[in-house]
Amino acid sequence: MRQWMQEYGEQFREHRSEGPKYLDDYRPFPNNKLFASEPVLGEDSRETIWRKVVQEGEAIKSVSANFGVDMRRVAAVVRLKEVEKAWEREGKKLATPYARAVMSMLPKQRLSEGQEFEPINEIHVHSYTQQQLFLPTSESRHFTREDAAKAFGDNILPADKRVPHPELINLEKDVLSGKSVEEAKEAFEKAAMESEVAAARKEQKRLLHEEKHTTKVNASRFEFRFKDINVDDVGKDGRSRQGTGWRYGVPFYDRRRGEIKIPTKVE
Amino acid sequence: MKLRRTLRFHGLKKPRVRQTWNKYNLFNLANDRQALNTIGSNVKTFFQQKWAAKRLARGYHGEHIKERAWERMFDRRLLSVVNMEPRYMAQYDGSEQASGRGQGKAGSQESEILEKQRGSGKKTPYMQMAFAPMERRLDIAVFRALFASSARQARQFCVHGAVKVNGKRMKYPGYLLNPGDMFQVDPERVLFATGAKKDPAAVADALKPAEDSEAAPEAEASSDAEPPAEGEPTPEGASAAEPTEPAAAPEDPAKAERAELKALRDRVKGFLKTSFGDLSAKQKQSLRALSKDIKTAISKTKGGGEDIDGLSTLFSQLEVDTKEAESNRNAPDAEVDEQGLTRSERERLSELLAEESENPWDPDKPYATPWRPRPFMAPFVFIPRYLEVNQKICSAVYLRHPVARAGKAEVPSPYGELVNELAFNWYLRRR
Repeated sequence: MRQWMQEYGEQFREHRSEGPKYLDDYRPFPNNKLFASEPVLGEDSRETIWRKVVQEGEAIKSVSANFGVDMRRVAAVVRLKEVEKAWEREGKKLATPYARAVMSMLPKQRLSEGQEFEPINEIHVHSYTQQQLFLPTSESRHFTREDAAKAFGDNILPADKRVPHPELINLEKDVLSGKSVEEAKEAFEKAAMESEVAAARKEQKRLLHEEKHTTKVNASRFEFRFKDINVDDVGKDGRSRQGTGWRYGVPFYDRRRGEIKIPTKVE
Repeated sequence: MKLRRTLRFHGLKKPRVRQTWNKYNLFNLANDRQALNTIGSNVKTFFQQKWAAKRLARGYHGEHIKERAWERMFDRRLLSVVNMEPRYMAQYDGSEQASGRGQGKAGSQESEILEKQRGSGKKTPYMQMAFAPMERRLDIAVFRALFASSARQARQFCVHGAVKVNGKRMKYPGYLLNPGDMFQVDPERVLFATGAKKDPAAVADALKPAEDSEAAPEAEASSDAEPPAEGEPTPEGASAAEPTEPAAAPEDPAKAERAELKALRDRVKGFLKTSFGDLSAKQKQSLRALSKDIKTAISKTKGGGEDIDGLSTLFSQLEVDTKEAESNRNAPDAEVDEQGLTRSERERLSELLAEESENPWDPDKPYATPWRPRPFMAPFVFIPRYLEVNQKICSAVYLRHPVARAGKAEVPSPYGELVNELAFNWYLRRR
């Protein structure tokens, strides 16, 4: 070990240069060829995303498509940036030296329009589609993605409807049908904004609905929230997961000794 | 919960790669072949191979988690994704892949985009996802976001109440993060975990001369006058000006203050004349002392006479607005202002003072100050794509569950497919 440290390991003691330094090129684990350290967004890229979304009011979807950054990442960057700005306003101390040191050790990628940071239009491989399926059809049949989805299961949506950016497909279709790129882009921006507004409205509606059906009672330490339940939620055999409370013949380990009750979600 | 003891945790005889940033761990990681040979795929039975692989993999993936707990978390469904290229989807509806097959067409002339979408012949490494459910745990996510130097330390942070999830304190390291959860770690803890170790002896040494100087300024002045070490200039003004201070003290207080400020000015000038470029540790120490002195000088002269104000405003300006200096950069450099400092000197000084206030020397902290990263940190620094981290506020968002895609798996594992596949088969419970 000592010999290795002197000959090879000493270069890792202090990080002097800008950029990552791993055991094997860009791989932190030399024996795992399937894992590479992928670049992260730099400080200025995060600032750009925040500016586009918050100050210029662009839709998250269009920012995501323009810079090739996943929608969820765009939203997370904005959320974290907002917290950072709030800390700055409050005069809370930021961990700037730590941030600078870590960023100098990570691979970074600068954002530029039209260049992909990560794949943005990914869909999960549905478990129903993982098995081989023989479907006899006529040779002349025009068998599309929709038909394939139907063949795999009744409730499976085709890939065109499952992708996170269906608007991008429409953009490409517009371009193929002879529209100018600017026109197609404009239509895309509009559609992206519309879908974002629709999603926000839907979420608001859900919250309102939930609020309407809960009664809140403020006690000294706690806020009690009562919801209406339906006895029929237990289902025909009385064992449905939707049912509430203890039911005859169904084990209910809620109060068992040593039962750990780690929350499953935090809101 | 009682944790497994960490005796020979980073052992060299029977090496195990662990989730830590330890120096010994780096050595074990670099010389991993030896451990892989213990699987012995051509001498051992299948059961023995699975056992050996599982032992290796579990030594890294959440070794502090009980086997029973992990078995409950294990899931044989492995997540993978495919990127759908919008251009391909706009151009084709999928029928072109089947057309002509019945007429004996061997393979369709697939478009380049489809090839790209399929990952250009690369396989999706499903087996690398065997330990994906572990990455959902809060303590491991904190470690992956580089907020702790080991998974065990991350666990301790959770238990000690330093971790918040969506703004609420979460004391369970076994909390499974949901996509979209934001977790925050107390920045002080992060600085402690990732910073270099504090040397108590060095802190004591650094504190000593400060006390001495209050007791006997002459002694310090004489020590300052010693010949400086090579390449490390002593602020000349300091040694020259300080002996004058006690002499001026019995006289008129305003005069004494002016003398003090002048001495400070000389120190600043001496400092700037010599210390362009990177500062040595000694120089940083003297800069620290200087900035402290400037602060006290400003507070002393707040209500002082008019003749002192010229100098005191200089220092307060230096402290308050570093930005003004930047905006005035185009002013002629040689022009000396009324306080006797050139423009570039002022800029440099304000820059240094800003750096000092951002990363100050503070003996009360549990880590070495000014903060610097711990040794042997860089080879372990990576952030997997399922997390989005903001280092400045020590917070991160768990975007989604880790997935496999053509040619890549997102679960950070030190082992390749051989080990992970065998380990996955072990947990399938059909051994």
